[in-house]
Amino acid sequence: MSQNRNKLIDLFIGNISNSAVHMILEKAIDEDNLRKHYDKEFSISLDIAKNYRKKINPKNTPFHGKEVKDIKNRIIKKVMAELNLRISKGYQNINLGLIGPTVNEILKKTKVV
Amino acid sequence: MDQIYIPKKRVDFTVGSYVAIRQLETTAEEEIKPFFYNIKHLEPIKTKIIKEIFKNLNEIIKCDNIIITGSFLEQGFRFNDIDIILVSEEKIDTKQIVSLLESKIGPKFHFILISNKALIKGLSTDPLYMLMLSKCVAKKRFIYRIKPQINYKLVDLHLLKSKLLIDNFDFLTGDEKYEMTRNFVAINQFISKKEVTKDKIDLAINNFFGNKTIHKLKNNLLLTKDFLKKYKKAYNNAQNRILKGIRDEPKQK
Repeated sequence: MSQNRNKLIDLFIGNISNSAVHMILEKAIDEDNLRKHYDKEFSISLDIAKNYRKKINPKNTPFHGKEVKDIKNRIIKKVMAELNLRISKGYQNINLGLIGPTVNEILKKTKVV
Repeated sequence: MDQIYIPKKRVDFTVGSYVAIRQLETTAEEEIKPFFYNIKHLEPIKTKIIKEIFKNLNEIIKCDNIIITGSFLEQGFRFNDIDIILVSEEKIDTKQIVSLLESKIGPKFHFILISNKALIKGLSTDPLYMLMLSKCVAKKRFIYRIKPQINYKLVDLHLLKSKLLIDNFDFLTGDEKYEMTRNFVAINQFISKKEVTKDKIDLAINNFFGNKTIHKLKNNLLLTKDFLKKYKKAYNNAQNRILKGIRDEPKQK
């Protein structure tokens, strides 16, 4: 059971990270963002994450402080790695300062904090 | 002098408006002739629904074009909703239209409101737009073949969606797996400067991943190991090409 919970948390973290990377990169694109015109596609990773969240206890209340800290750190690490990969290849305009607030926002939306 | 009576409580015809009086039965209703793009077969009931949509939208909004796309145009009745693109320079409250159409016609609707300029830009820079509009029904004729222009940052953003397939393969539905694979292959074709149409993407999926892959993906019958091995390799290659494109982009301008 606990193994299953850990697996679900791993998947949840993966999807939340993807969603956060998406949100930050969207802001790095200079021109008018075409994606806003089809938001259905846009939030897919967040929707999948929300589905995993529904299966993780506690379902309707925030996680314990220590677990929140651990999940948050793992997400930030993943997001940082994805963004740094791009920066190292010459991608400009990526604001790493957005990572913290973006992750917090998503964790609130998914009732982790 | 004859008189005409109209309800006191009415939406239109404010006092002082000029109106034309015409006999109702002699007013021939404008026949709706939709334009079909790359659609080989469409069930007659769907054509009827499309005409009904156009007719209803004509009555309540003014827009430059109405385009129907997505799974509704696929053979059979496995669609979740009907995707409609409203091309308009004006702001339109789509929430109201959705509830009106749903109560009148039945199925669920998803609207995308877009200006002409954004549509043209989307068709030249965005493989997902190309894919979406490679098979559609439009109220008015429009040009959907526009010279592609690769915006690598945008393509990078789209590619992220297909990354989910790698981590979540065992937990996704058949349709989700197919959509993510299709998205990935469309991006790959686009950056290789190949044509992006639904049929060509489906053909490319079967050619690359093996015969009947689409059928197996949609029905969740695919064995993880072989498929994911190929997918991961191709995904990493595509990502490297895109990141190289982003690095070189300013030099090209």
